[in-house]
Amino acid sequence: MDWHEVLIQQTVNGITRGAVFALIALGYTMVYGIIGLINFAHGDVFMLGLFISLAYFALLGMTTTLQGWHLVTVLPLVFVATMLTTGVINVTIDRVAYRPLRNAFRLAPLITAIGVSFMLENLTLIWRGPAPIAYPDLFPSVDILRDWLGIDSLLFITTKDVLVLGVTIPLMVALQYFVTRTRWGKAMRATAQDKETALAMGIDVEKTIILTFFIGGALAGAAGLIQGLYYNIGMWWMGYQAGLRAFTAAVLGGIGNMPGAALGGLLIGFLSAWSDQYISARWTNALVFAILILVLVFRPQGLLGERVPDKA
Amino acid sequence: MTAPGRVRPLPAALLVTALMAYPFVDRWLHAQTVHAVTDAMIYVLLALGLNIVVGYAGLLDLGYAAFFAIGAYTMGLLNSPVLGSPLYGHAWSFWVIIWIAALVSACLGVVIGAPTLRVRGDYLAIITLAFGEIIPVAIRNLGDITIDLGGWRPVERLNLTGGENGVNPVGRPHLPGVNFDTDFIPWYFLILAIGAGSLWAMNRMRHSRLGRAWMAIREDETAADCTGVNPVKTKLLAFGLGASFAGFAGSFYAAKLQAITPGAFEFNVSIMLLCMVVLGGMGSLKGVILGGMLITLFDRILLAQMTFLIRAVGRSLGITALASVDLTLWRWFFFGLGLVVIMLIRPEGLAGRRVRPPAADVDEGEETLALVAAPPRPRAEAIPGWLREPGASAAAPTGRPVLDVRGLTRRFGGLLAVSEVDLVIPPRGIVGLIGPNGAGKTTFFNLVTGLLRSDRGEIFLDGESLVGLRPHAIVGRGVARTFQSIRLFQNMSVLDNVLVGEHCRLRASVAGAVFRPPVVVAEEARARARAREMLAFVGLHDRDEELAKNLAYGDQRRLEIARALASEPRLLLLDEPTAGMNPRETDTLTELIGLLREEIGLAILLIEHHMEVVMSISDRITVLDYGTRIAEGTPAEIRRNAKVIEAYLGKGYEEELVSG
Repeated sequence: MDWHEVLIQQTVNGITRGAVFALIALGYTMVYGIIGLINFAHGDVFMLGLFISLAYFALLGMTTTLQGWHLVTVLPLVFVATMLTTGVINVTIDRVAYRPLRNAFRLAPLITAIGVSFMLENLTLIWRGPAPIAYPDLFPSVDILRDWLGIDSLLFITTKDVLVLGVTIPLMVALQYFVTRTRWGKAMRATAQDKETALAMGIDVEKTIILTFFIGGALAGAAGLIQGLYYNIGMWWMGYQAGLRAFTAAVLGGIGNMPGAALGGLLIGFLSAWSDQYISARWTNALVFAILILVLVFRPQGLLGERVPDKA
Repeated sequence: MTAPGRVRPLPAALLVTALMAYPFVDRWLHAQTVHAVTDAMIYVLLALGLNIVVGYAGLLDLGYAAFFAIGAYTMGLLNSPVLGSPLYGHAWSFWVIIWIAALVSACLGVVIGAPTLRVRGDYLAIITLAFGEIIPVAIRNLGDITIDLGGWRPVERLNLTGGENGVNPVGRPHLPGVNFDTDFIPWYFLILAIGAGSLWAMNRMRHSRLGRAWMAIREDETAADCTGVNPVKTKLLAFGLGASFAGFAGSFYAAKLQAITPGAFEFNVSIMLLCMVVLGGMGSLKGVILGGMLITLFDRILLAQMTFLIRAVGRSLGITALASVDLTLWRWFFFGLGLVVIMLIRPEGLAGRRVRPPAADVDEGEETLALVAAPPRPRAEAIPGWLREPGASAAAPTGRPVLDVRGLTRRFGGLLAVSEVDLVIPPRGIVGLIGPNGAGKTTFFNLVTGLLRSDRGEIFLDGESLVGLRPHAIVGRGVARTFQSIRLFQNMSVLDNVLVGEHCRLRASVAGAVFRPPVVVAEEARARARAREMLAFVGLHDRDEELAKNLAYGDQRRLEIARALASEPRLLLLDEPTAGMNPRETDTLTELIGLLREEIGLAILLIEHHMEVVMSISDRITVLDYGTRIAEGTPAEIRRNAKVIEAYLGKGYEEELVSG
């Protein structure tokens, strides 16, 4: 491979990775926007999305590459089921672990969020065992350049890459529409701005929070399913790392800002793919964390966020 | 009355005897638990160090294990032949390096703490987590560095840390006649000595000027800053000192284990330590020790024993699922569950101070309450003598204004919050600042006290410019304030609240706080006596040890004023001091403000909506509207000013005042 082919290949990898980070980052950013909590367990909901979708496929007896009408029925069905499940899980987490602490001291819900994260990870460890789990290669992988377009290239772009974008982009567009154009979206934005005033205006704040957790969880579930279909492997500990990268993406884009989360996700995707290639995969984590620290310290409002003046 | 932090002699003697006798009893019983107990004590020491950062200063540190790693690696690398350290192999090596390790950890604590100073609590937590992740990654990867720049390799296979293999062996401590090589008992006594020393130092820090500053920062950073506590210095001291204990623990760990690997210092360890602190009770030394012991006991003994038990039950009942249970797999699940459950049902931890519901001032009839809680009228004789001392506060009789503000301007985006405002307060002057809501009065206060930077304008206190100073420095110059919505240090005692007010007048350093030379002891005793006098003056005697949040509303207002006065100000800024008070309390407070001027010559700037109060005690009044000064004059002039009547007082105000 030429150097430019390597660069293009890693950039394509970066886009697919980044799309998954972006989906997870949206959940962080929405929840932070609305209740000011870093939902530390969010990355683990993503991980659960992978294992739950795997369980649904197994339940439907799907263990090999989906063909024909299976592809258009089973796949969307599992998508919807997974998203519903992880959405409900996320709402449950909020009801049980965060809601009773709405008026407690500020760091209390963050501490419980870490606790929940540990619980989810270790329940999965007990459920599926410590070793990485193979996720069957359910989505047909076709080398688009070679097999469909007849271009002789060492670049490897497959239908799976298309799947990732084909799922994430519509989801993000739908979310953006929902938040900016619908009544519920307006309630969410109002609650994020000022909870008391929203309440006074007759908005059911608790319902809005539930909705936010549900959407965030559903997006994380979709991300987990895509991750499984794309990489064909799942680990109980993957939520921690993916979660931190996605959180970095959310912070980079400007926490609370949804287009920012998408942008941040893409940037982190590129950076981690390039770092794996050009520095060393061993250092990628340190690089992402260094970015996280630098952004939090020097530009806490992120790339697209607005600076909120402190109230004295 | 015993000094705080003093222990009762009998239980203490029993405890010491038990701790000294334990390893010998253990040997006699052949229980062989000394090894495990020694390890447990390392983690308890770590939890105690973490408690300084999390419990005292309220900074959630999710990467504390990084300091543990730094301590261990400092010992490991300096006292090991792996990288050819010249310090390895001497009899004194361990004893010297353990101090170096603590110092290195403390420095790293400051380095990691520094960037976090600007960020909010939860961001700070994430930054420490990120550092906690980076350090083990760096230790792993720095064991084998190759830099390849297109075939040119300036650095090849360089080993700085031992990499994935870790460091092995690590030199042991040497003491004549003591066997550290094969016997666990000396190790037990060594960690016991380190732990006891640490505990002693921590306890003394906790009950010092520094400890109060930490807790003030934890309770309300802005209020602490405006009470004279330097938040930057205070937080860095928390990070640095907190980390130094991890340095001791880490170097002990490395020497005892004889081998260290990067895997021993990951996120899990930080969380387990956090569990210990949270379970025991953030900020309580006894609690953290208890929490640490319970968690280790649970982790090392209970889980294994329960597994054994459940399996036995499973076998006897023929349930294979039970017979093959391994609860130790559930270890981290239980830690997570523990964090959630404690936060939900007992966030103050096992040994935390139970917070009583706030004193009844809500639904009770206002009238009866006023009778019950009627504040004593302030008396001139009760004014603490030290406030009157010449030079302590009152302005030197120069005739120069105490506060001289010229052309002060501050803009928020397109909004001119304060625009070209001039204001002068003469010595012993009381100036009222009035105006409609949103007129910029509180912004003006925030500009003068340094919470906000002005865009333009001058602020002089006795001729010295205050522009550009941080709030705590402005308090040091002699400006104290209260807040519109009361901002006390809620979970600190009434006495401690006032003592924080004295913070900027006290000199005790960290070493002074720990070693308590006579100067520091005398200073602390005087500070306490002064604080008690101050509380008596505002009518809060006998409430010393109560938590500030348990006071009734009017008492909280007066405590806030006492706290401000404790910093020996020349100028006092009161932001709506009578807001929410009943008429009786309002009268008392008005009298108190008058007394402060007459008796100790304090200059006072007052934001107030109670017109009777402002009109009766102010010498002059400044009126703000939309950020600009629309009038300035004596109360009588202001009352008649057409602009003021239109913008604020309203037509018919004068008649109302006359008839009412």
